[in-house]
Amino acid sequence: MRLLKELSVFFKGFTDVTFRGGRVFYVWMSILTLFILAGILAYIHQLRHGMIITHMRDQVSWGFYVSNFTFLVGIAAAAVLLIIPAYLYSFKPIKRIVIYGELLAISAVITALLFIFVDFGRPERFWHAIPFIGTANFPYSILTWDMLVLNSYLFLNLLIVLYVGCNTYFGREPDKHILMPLIIISIPLAVAVHTVTAFVYNGLSARPFWNASILAPRFLASAFCSGPSLLIIIFQVLKRFTGFRIEDRAMEKLAEIAAYAMAINIFLMLAELYKEYYSKTIHLTSLRYLYEGLGSYKRFVLPMRVSLLLNILGLLFFLIPETRKKAPALIAGAVSMFIGIWIEKGMGLVVPGFIPSPLGEVYEYSPSVYEILIALGVFSSGAMLYTLSLRAAISLETGKLRHPFAPPPVIEKEGLTAGDIMTKEVIAVLPETSVDEIAGLLIKHRISGIPVVDNERRVLGIVSESDIIYREIHRDPEILERLGGIVLPAYRQTIKKGLTAGEIMTSPPVTARVDTTLRELVELIVDKRIKRVIIIDSSEKLCGIVSRIDIVKAIERLHS
Amino acid sequence: MLTRRELLKNSVTLLGSLSLGACLKQDIFKEKFRELSEEEKRRFLKRLEERYEKRYGIKFSVRDTPPQKGVVFGYALDLSRCIGCRRCVYACVMENNQSRDIPIQWIRVLRIKKGHFAPSDFESAEHYYNPEKVPEDGYIYIPVQCQQCENPPCVKVCPTKATWKEPDGIVVIDYEWCIGCRCCMAACPYWARRFNWKEPYIPEKEINPDTHYYGNRPRMRGVVEKCTFCIQRTRNGRYPACVEACPVGARKFGNLLDPESEVRYILDNFSIFRLKAELNTEPKFFYFFSLGR
Repeated sequence: MRLLKELSVFFKGFTDVTFRGGRVFYVWMSILTLFILAGILAYIHQLRHGMIITHMRDQVSWGFYVSNFTFLVGIAAAAVLLIIPAYLYSFKPIKRIVIYGELLAISAVITALLFIFVDFGRPERFWHAIPFIGTANFPYSILTWDMLVLNSYLFLNLLIVLYVGCNTYFGREPDKHILMPLIIISIPLAVAVHTVTAFVYNGLSARPFWNASILAPRFLASAFCSGPSLLIIIFQVLKRFTGFRIEDRAMEKLAEIAAYAMAINIFLMLAELYKEYYSKTIHLTSLRYLYEGLGSYKRFVLPMRVSLLLNILGLLFFLIPETRKKAPALIAGAVSMFIGIWIEKGMGLVVPGFIPSPLGEVYEYSPSVYEILIALGVFSSGAMLYTLSLRAAISLETGKLRHPFAPPPVIEKEGLTAGDIMTKEVIAVLPETSVDEIAGLLIKHRISGIPVVDNERRVLGIVSESDIIYREIHRDPEILERLGGIVLPAYRQTIKKGLTAGEIMTSPPVTARVDTTLRELVELIVDKRIKRVIIIDSSEKLCGIVSRIDIVKAIERLHS
Repeated sequence: MLTRRELLKNSVTLLGSLSLGACLKQDIFKEKFRELSEEEKRRFLKRLEERYEKRYGIKFSVRDTPPQKGVVFGYALDLSRCIGCRRCVYACVMENNQSRDIPIQWIRVLRIKKGHFAPSDFESAEHYYNPEKVPEDGYIYIPVQCQQCENPPCVKVCPTKATWKEPDGIVVIDYEWCIGCRCCMAACPYWARRFNWKEPYIPEKEINPDTHYYGNRPRMRGVVEKCTFCIQRTRNGRYPACVEACPVGARKFGNLLDPESEVRYILDNFSIFRLKAELNTEPKFFYFFSLGR
């Protein structure tokens, strides 16, 4: 009975936070519902009349559904991308958003599986493919492998998200010894998910366009573009329409990863183009269909050129640090990359595999209205799933959805940020300032550290009490300086002359943006064992400092 | 407490759902034909026959004649004799109950300019040639159908083991077990497989009621089908329909294991070749030129 009661309390809280929202939320949900209904109607039509209502035929026997399936598996692999920097290199800002990446992976896998399902000619027999229940063709059929890997990936991500979610609900920290192994396993599994999907096509000797070993690497590279791009778009939307806070640094990191991945993707594509165009075998025909057209058959030429352009645009937006940091450019880059890859790795991959047919026939395919409606419905159900799970996750994180007896999340409740609690009048020095002068300043103002800035107040480093003390003990020049002394005799001079701030400062210093939350500041100070965090604005300029006493004061303020 | 009336009502509902479950088991959760006992197979074939008789109004036979021991079927096609008349295509459609309105044809005859033919490249092939008279000067014709590979790529990729190679070398499909994912169609290098994009339509007058479970029995929409060397005929000692229909005797068929067979004679006495040999599919469908043409 107690369990039932607990469950009903949970479900009440859950439905309250997930299904109730503002106007934007209701409008969004209504649009999705409408699309889903239209999709269901179109699918019923397909069930009744057969797949003749699609534009697929014997010549091009996979089309829009399978294209979107392939694309979505790439999106699902995106979670791994967030996990690697977050856990292996403990990049904090990304660690916070890992759970949102995993939720996206879950929604994407489910949506991908739905696309496979609507592509079946006899959907009611899908169970024939399930091991033990049906007669799965293991280990020969790669589709069997793909279903196994996709479902394991889905299960594992669900497990992680549920485990973290339950713990947060009860106000506990998840046990690292349970969580970490799960997360570590999910990394190779994410790679496997996408590789095996590539192998479904790759292993078919009948289709030279897919039968190239570069296919799996290209799949991975392009997944690492589309996944982060979608996350950037989602986070920007959340930032605009909800109180969701996300650090700019995390977003920049995602863009940076996507940029490198896109560079690799374009390189691999050029390698493929070179091989086909230089050797000019009969296998060139599929590529020629894509980029030049075959006589009057040129339905793919324009979309493929647009895709190439969008990919290059996205690469430029993400590669240049200045554009990466500005929200409009960031969104533009993400959108162009997302659409670029959607064309390239959806239709641009699946359809030309069938053109020309093994007997040399060209059938030009583009999806029918029903196919588009069904695909829209499937995408919308994925989007709805993600929206709802995202709302639940955010509510769990902010403490809106919490067990009645669980300790409340203390720090973040008030939403204090670095900007609210920092000391704004900061004394800073230039790199040329002598150590003696700095020591004087420290004593005079009763502070323990001083930021070192350039002429435009950009932070270069920090000199703390311990830097000065350390220098007193280790009078000997460091190895690099010794080397300098050997190579350049004049170098010795500078060491003797008395040290400057630039020489003894800790660089780069630990900094945080103005919008960093109190919780993140605490984590930073505990993790790095430092006494203060330099606060910078979006152009990296010094605007304040948060010391341990500032945090103590803030907590005191929260509790009273 | 339950009253007697409620109890009665509940048990009726329970019985109802049980019988619905039984129906579902029969129609949706049926077992794979191959794994049924002989007795169950007989019953299932009987049910199929009744269903077809009801639909087409004529007596049907659906057999499951097993492969004969010591027999592996092989096919040889003399390209120097083929005149591109497509009689084999139409005979096949009639024999094997292929859909007529959205036409399904298991045999595709290609027309290629003389001097352009290569067994691995069909990009210059014409599929829809339509002259007044065949043969035409300057062209050769290449009929292509399922090559009954020894290493069939289509079998490998099937996620449900709904298609396999029988001991007599014929690659068959269990239409009841195919989920319609079309992996096999993507995998076939000879474009030999066809999909029922809609419910197939065959005029009642043209139906062939003499059928095999893995062969020419009427199919349903959403499943894949292909040439089976006329399994319903050849397993009973007859020639495939296409062999019989060929007006110039270009098509030869027989037991590859029998040194006296016609097919073996051709293999031993002509230089034969197979389509896309580099893919290592090892077709049991051989092409040759017996004359200069």
